[in-house]
Amino acid sequence: MFHNSSQKKFWQFDGEAALEKQRYEANQKFRSKIMASGKPVSDSLFLDPHEEMVIFRHYEKRLIDFCSIFKPTMPKSVVGTAVMYFRRFYLNNSLMEHHPRIIMLTCSYLSCKVDEFNVSSTQFVGNLQETPAGQEKVLEQILEYELLLIQQLNFHLVIHTPYRPMEGLLIDLKTRYPMLENPEVLRKTADDFLNRATVTDVGLLASPSQIALTAVLNSASRAGLSMESYLTECMGLKDDKETMSKLMDTMRRMKHLTKKYELPKPEEVVMCKQKLERVYAEFSSSNLKRKRGYEEEHEVAKKPLLTEEEVWTDEDLDSL
Amino acid sequence: MDQYSILGRIGEGAHGIVFKAKHIETGETVALKKVALRKLEDGIPNQALREIKALQEIEDNQYVVKLKDVFPHGTGFVLVFEYMLSDLSEVIRNSQRPLTESQVKGYMMMLLKGVAFCHENSIMHRDLKPANLLISSTGHLKIADFGLARLFSNEGDRLYSHQVATRWYRAPELLYGARKYDEGVDLWAVGCIFGELLNNSPLFPGENDIEQLCCVLRVLGTPNHRVWPEITELPDYNKITFKENPPIPLEEIVPDTSPQAVDLLKKFLVYPSKQRISARQALLHPYFFTDPMPAHHSELPIPQRGGKHSRQRLQPPHEFSVDRPLQESLVDPALIEGYAQ
Repeated sequence: MFHNSSQKKFWQFDGEAALEKQRYEANQKFRSKIMASGKPVSDSLFLDPHEEMVIFRHYEKRLIDFCSIFKPTMPKSVVGTAVMYFRRFYLNNSLMEHHPRIIMLTCSYLSCKVDEFNVSSTQFVGNLQETPAGQEKVLEQILEYELLLIQQLNFHLVIHTPYRPMEGLLIDLKTRYPMLENPEVLRKTADDFLNRATVTDVGLLASPSQIALTAVLNSASRAGLSMESYLTECMGLKDDKETMSKLMDTMRRMKHLTKKYELPKPEEVVMCKQKLERVYAEFSSSNLKRKRGYEEEHEVAKKPLLTEEEVWTDEDLDSL
Repeated sequence: MDQYSILGRIGEGAHGIVFKAKHIETGETVALKKVALRKLEDGIPNQALREIKALQEIEDNQYVVKLKDVFPHGTGFVLVFEYMLSDLSEVIRNSQRPLTESQVKGYMMMLLKGVAFCHENSIMHRDLKPANLLISSTGHLKIADFGLARLFSNEGDRLYSHQVATRWYRAPELLYGARKYDEGVDLWAVGCIFGELLNNSPLFPGENDIEQLCCVLRVLGTPNHRVWPEITELPDYNKITFKENPPIPLEEIVPDTSPQAVDLLKKFLVYPSKQRISARQALLHPYFFTDPMPAHHSELPIPQRGGKHSRQRLQPPHEFSVDRPLQESLVDPALIEGYAQ
């Protein structure tokens, strides 16, 4: 249940400002770590929080694309869990510290296991457009990062996604809200909303059922259907002005966040990526000893990974 | 790891060694379960993930072993549990005299409270057996080993593995290869444990999977679609047929048992999973409200680990000496605070 979950206790935040602050601090932490190593570096070498966001969104999109073409078909909740892991991870870690390419795959691998979507490790990396040797290399990296990932997630593994609450709401509408003739007509647009919400901070700010409710109401209002009486009558909010206005406020914020979302422009991504690679080239062999072995392997694995990158073009970006 | 000092080895679990240790800061004794990750081709084992998942998402319950902490260590990580002296299988094996009816009731009540709590939190344990029911130094029973536990949902389209549960406690639908099942598998196991407590020996001690089914069928009678409509849909139903066999009255299986106990046992050991009595309902059964009443945890035996003699606790637990300072014979109020409601 959500109400006694680790998600509610540890991973729900008061507002966007709190999240921005955490990301800013992660960025600063990396900078000061490098500075402390005594290496003379110019400040301009580092990515700023905005540039980190560009890279983050780029890889988040690739994570979703990877999941959506995964064979066998990945259930939505597994995808939602993977994306949420990815978000949680980079809330407290700079992208300059751990490469998002491997973190995103590790997130997806872990979510398969946690959500009991049972695929073997070979089956998992078999989904990468790679030579068998390349796949093995990636798997090695995934397994190496798995422990770091669950540690950074504070061992909080269960993610409540809005998909189940949405099914629940549709059932509730069918049984208790005859005003709406066919609630199923709401599904498509509501689903789209959930997909768009996945790539925003909505999941860190609101409960899964609130997100699902927003999706359904949003879908209704787009179809020109009024559902206000559902809230006032069926949800019993008629005389509870305070809860009602709070709910409305939360829903407005969610809508705003999803509307505001934009995928970074390709040229911006290219630029930030180059900068990121420079950061890795510069620091990977200096003070980050633990990661050194990995980085060297990483260079070897890079070539096949680039071909894989070509497969994930930005073509279907508009589909969401 | 430097927060703990290792006191000794307790045993070896499915995914690592279990140590007894002391939390240096608080002086508390704990059990450390080390999960090593070297040479595991699939990375962190599912069992360890399930255990963390199940135990982290539920609130504390007196009848479920508490996961106190998880931390990375070396190439793996460590799960920190409260330390438990023994388990129910040792109680059954080592008690010098059979458990009294009141003691059996006491254990059953704690077991059912724990199971009810899990089920109400959408967790099916899937591997209930005496060895997974730990006994604390205060005589409390706590459900442990959530390595097979699953969060269940009523989505209905997910398939589960039928290779769960230790054979003797495996529900008939699992023996017939069911891939869709529910928390009823735990209730069957509860019935088996109940019978074992009453008889001091396992109810269905099958030597292999086929024989296991024979054991169950011999007692409950050969199932057919009249008593168990869903049976025809089970994967292995057509693979094996048994001679038509009438059920044996449970009174003969657990002789010298009160009628209420037999009645409750009957409600767990039925073929259709949905017809098994829920843990919450079972707690309301007259069995728990007729004399002799369930034993208080202080009246239950505390066996020592490693199969030494069980120590039947004396009442009161301390012998008083006039020469001892008074503070020493007092119980620390903090220890009993939780029970003084």
